[in-house]
Amino acid sequence: MTEMQLAELSRVLFFPVTMLLYLVAMGLYLYALAFTKVDRGADEPAIAGTRALRLATVVAGIGLVTHLGHIVTRSLAAGGRVPWGTMFEYSSVSGFLVVLAGLLIFQWRMRRPEVVGFLLLGSLLTMGAALLLYAEPGPLQPILNSHWLKIHVFSIMVAATVFTVGFIFNGLHLIRDTAEQRVAEARTAGLTGSTVGAAYSGGAGVGGAPVVVEEDEGPLGTEADRADAPADLADGGVRGPADGDDDVAYGAALRATISPWRLAIGTFLGAATISWVFIPASETVATGLRSFLAINLALVAAALLGWWFVAKLPSAATLDSLAYRTIAFGFPIWTFAVLTGAIWAEQSWGRYWGWDPKETSAFLTWVAYAGYLHARATRGFRGRGAAWLGIGAFAVLMFTYYAVNLVVTGLHSYGGLPS
Amino acid sequence: MSRSDSPLPPEANPSLRRPTDRGPEGPLGFAWSSLRMAWRWLRRMRTALYLLGILGLQTLLATIVPQFPNVPRTVEQWRTGEAGPGRSVSAIIELLGGYDVYGSPAFLALLLLLFTSLTACLLPRYRAWWRVLRRTRPPRSRHLAGQEQVVAFETDAAPDVVHTAARRVLARRRWRLRAEDADPGLPPQVAAEKGHVVREGGSLVFHTSFYVLLVAIVLGQLLGYSGQVGVVEGRAFTDTAVGYWSTHPGRWWDDADHRAFTLTLDEFHVDWHRDPRLGAQPRVFLSDVTVRTEDGREIERTIGGNDPMVVEGMKIHQLDWGYAPRVVVQDDGEIVHDGFLTMTPAEGGFWSGAVKAPGADPDLGFEVFFWPYAPPDEDGTPQLTGAPWADAPYMVLQEYRGDLRLDVAQNVNTLDRTGLEEGEILAMRPGSVAVLPDGVTVAFPELRRWVGFQVSSRPTAPLLLLGAFLVLAGLIPALYASRRRLWVQAGVDPGTGRTRVTVAGRAFQRPQAFEVEHGRIVAALRAAVDELPPSPPAAAQRTGDASTEVVQR
Repeated sequence: MTEMQLAELSRVLFFPVTMLLYLVAMGLYLYALAFTKVDRGADEPAIAGTRALRLATVVAGIGLVTHLGHIVTRSLAAGGRVPWGTMFEYSSVSGFLVVLAGLLIFQWRMRRPEVVGFLLLGSLLTMGAALLLYAEPGPLQPILNSHWLKIHVFSIMVAATVFTVGFIFNGLHLIRDTAEQRVAEARTAGLTGSTVGAAYSGGAGVGGAPVVVEEDEGPLGTEADRADAPADLADGGVRGPADGDDDVAYGAALRATISPWRLAIGTFLGAATISWVFIPASETVATGLRSFLAINLALVAAALLGWWFVAKLPSAATLDSLAYRTIAFGFPIWTFAVLTGAIWAEQSWGRYWGWDPKETSAFLTWVAYAGYLHARATRGFRGRGAAWLGIGAFAVLMFTYYAVNLVVTGLHSYGGLPS
Repeated sequence: MSRSDSPLPPEANPSLRRPTDRGPEGPLGFAWSSLRMAWRWLRRMRTALYLLGILGLQTLLATIVPQFPNVPRTVEQWRTGEAGPGRSVSAIIELLGGYDVYGSPAFLALLLLLFTSLTACLLPRYRAWWRVLRRTRPPRSRHLAGQEQVVAFETDAAPDVVHTAARRVLARRRWRLRAEDADPGLPPQVAAEKGHVVREGGSLVFHTSFYVLLVAIVLGQLLGYSGQVGVVEGRAFTDTAVGYWSTHPGRWWDDADHRAFTLTLDEFHVDWHRDPRLGAQPRVFLSDVTVRTEDGREIERTIGGNDPMVVEGMKIHQLDWGYAPRVVVQDDGEIVHDGFLTMTPAEGGFWSGAVKAPGADPDLGFEVFFWPYAPPDEDGTPQLTGAPWADAPYMVLQEYRGDLRLDVAQNVNTLDRTGLEEGEILAMRPGSVAVLPDGVTVAFPELRRWVGFQVSSRPTAPLLLLGAFLVLAGLIPALYASRRRLWVQAGVDPGTGRTRVTVAGRAFQRPQAFEVEHGRIVAALRAAVDELPPSPPAAAQRTGDASTEVVQR
């Protein structure tokens, strides 16, 4: 095949093939999540859920294969170089890694298939944004032709991917934690006489001491147990709240605590702080606005999905722990990436640190995540405060990636975008 | 649990706070107590978080606003309102020191505060860590059954034997053990812990590495040197204090430190992917150079973008390049200018430069515009393309007469047009000679290229690398090492007459990994106990069928 044909094949494999497969897999994961019920005592999910889950895993697996095919053909089309030379390629590989991590680490090792649907969603958003930055495969600039490209950019990419996963957990944690706390508050305030909020008094015990739950708490005891064991991630398979009326009532109670409108508007405004860069970066204001709206609305939809499934999510404590562990895993990688970047800069530009916008913002990202990790260990910041810091740190990461590449000009302007 | 046994850093452990000792009274006392308060404030993690937040904000400002040391021209445009958000906003930025964030007093003050806070946090932690390291005393557990991981089993070995075996098993796995004779009068118990020294130690190494980095950066600024120079193909420059276009010597750099080598640019190779889809993306960017050191050695080498050359500890980087047309100007039959112009790329796909000939009377100057690829169309008019390859070079000169004011510092490549009188415009191809009506002759005999080299000396680079290594070497154990404790207690069960062994454990991080480890230790202990000769009362029973109870909370 010629390079043109390879490029075409690669493009088709990316969109529609892989993205559609991921979309279907995501739908199946969420379907499984919605219809999964746990019988008291036994951890067997209902049949519909299991089947959907199996199918979802298979579809996501096929998606991974086609995605890998896309990456390989694209690399070949560009003359056999590493497949992360432009922003599009970088985002594509990042999306691939998110799904890979979702299947291997979170579903297979940690037995948390509940979160995989949301990881697929994150991957789809990354890939959708990548499509907005699509560039034909081409050779590298000679200045990029170094072993450091493999080391530095790859570690940046892995760390950014890990932080993306951490952001998904942080976001889900905030939604779930808000719901849990409000239900618990409602219960303590005596506004609801039911047992619905009872077990969720544990929501306040993020990372702290176990919360004692009364014996007669009924089916919700399982959930409370999970809230008590923040780092206990390997237990059980697919689990939602218990069956019966309480389940429905509890889910409704959790969902009712959060106004979808406020969530949507908040997400839109939050996303807008970064996505505005697509307006000046696009050729016309109209296409820029379209990209801007598409990204924001996609994020709003993602937030609303998280809200809809709030009752089926892992407990706030579990999500908090997942987020922390993910970010703690990514932080040394990011550190390594920044350090190798300095070494490469010394090789290439003759100085290890020049306060170039990209260097500065990579450092800013480092500071933001260092802040998150410290906050996690500080009383008064732990839990929600830390989660908000984590969200902020991710915004900084996105700023580093999109705004600095697209709007601020510096030495790192290799986005590979048609100018 | 005694104070010194606490695994937590002191700031998380209120019991470690020493009671405040009263200082002197009066104004001195006030100053003293304020100082103590400030110190205590700096020690708080919350303070460190706020300081990190301010550092983040300053860095953000420096990312968005162009920085004078990096892009002075852009800053100038922002100041005059040509680019950026306008003059009034620019004035505010100026007021906030936003054009040179990293050189501003606010940034220095913040850095000082951050490092003071870091020191304030670290000093007590060093002390606590040293205490853990020296007088290691893993605490006893009063209530084994209440721990997170509890496994109990029965065996026929005597309790003392089991304890000795447990010590051996744990010592082999590098657990720190509580001294056997530490608690006279209490029932014997094996108490052990692991990971405390490594985790806290890693965190300390990580934070300490910032001092290493700071020292390396500051020393590097003082001792280092960098100079930039453009060299035309076939020409040379010598590494001396005056041999460069621009220099950045450190305060402690001595002009005698120059290595006095001579670098000749033999040939420069540059080419592009001439593919319209890629928009003239460069493909090759290499300089063939010959370096002759002061003692007469000659080194031939090719310097590439990622491949600097090192000569006697000085690094030579190839940074940029440009076209260098040779322009010869004669006024009244006398050569007033003969040299290569080092043209720089301008926006719009052409290159610009200037000819300054103060030898003419009055001074003669030319603004020079250069298009590397301007092929003629059917009727011979040059088609000005933005392509960077010099396949059809085309040069346009604008003549000026008057006082060039060369006594004022100015850019080599731009003409200060104030007070100059505009003259003729001429267009030239390589090899052409133009005679102007006023008798001036301009010739464009050849086209070469020039390369911008940077020569730098960074004596603290190894120290910086060490600092970078320490950052990672500390960070990884600080984040991933888990602190855990284990207790083994064996006693004779009055009911069965056999020995009942309880192995209890608790992990402060990564409980799942510890669950596995705990299981392995129990298995190892049982295997070790099984190898021992059974104690007399229960010799008949085999230990293999000992019942195991697992209690997990």
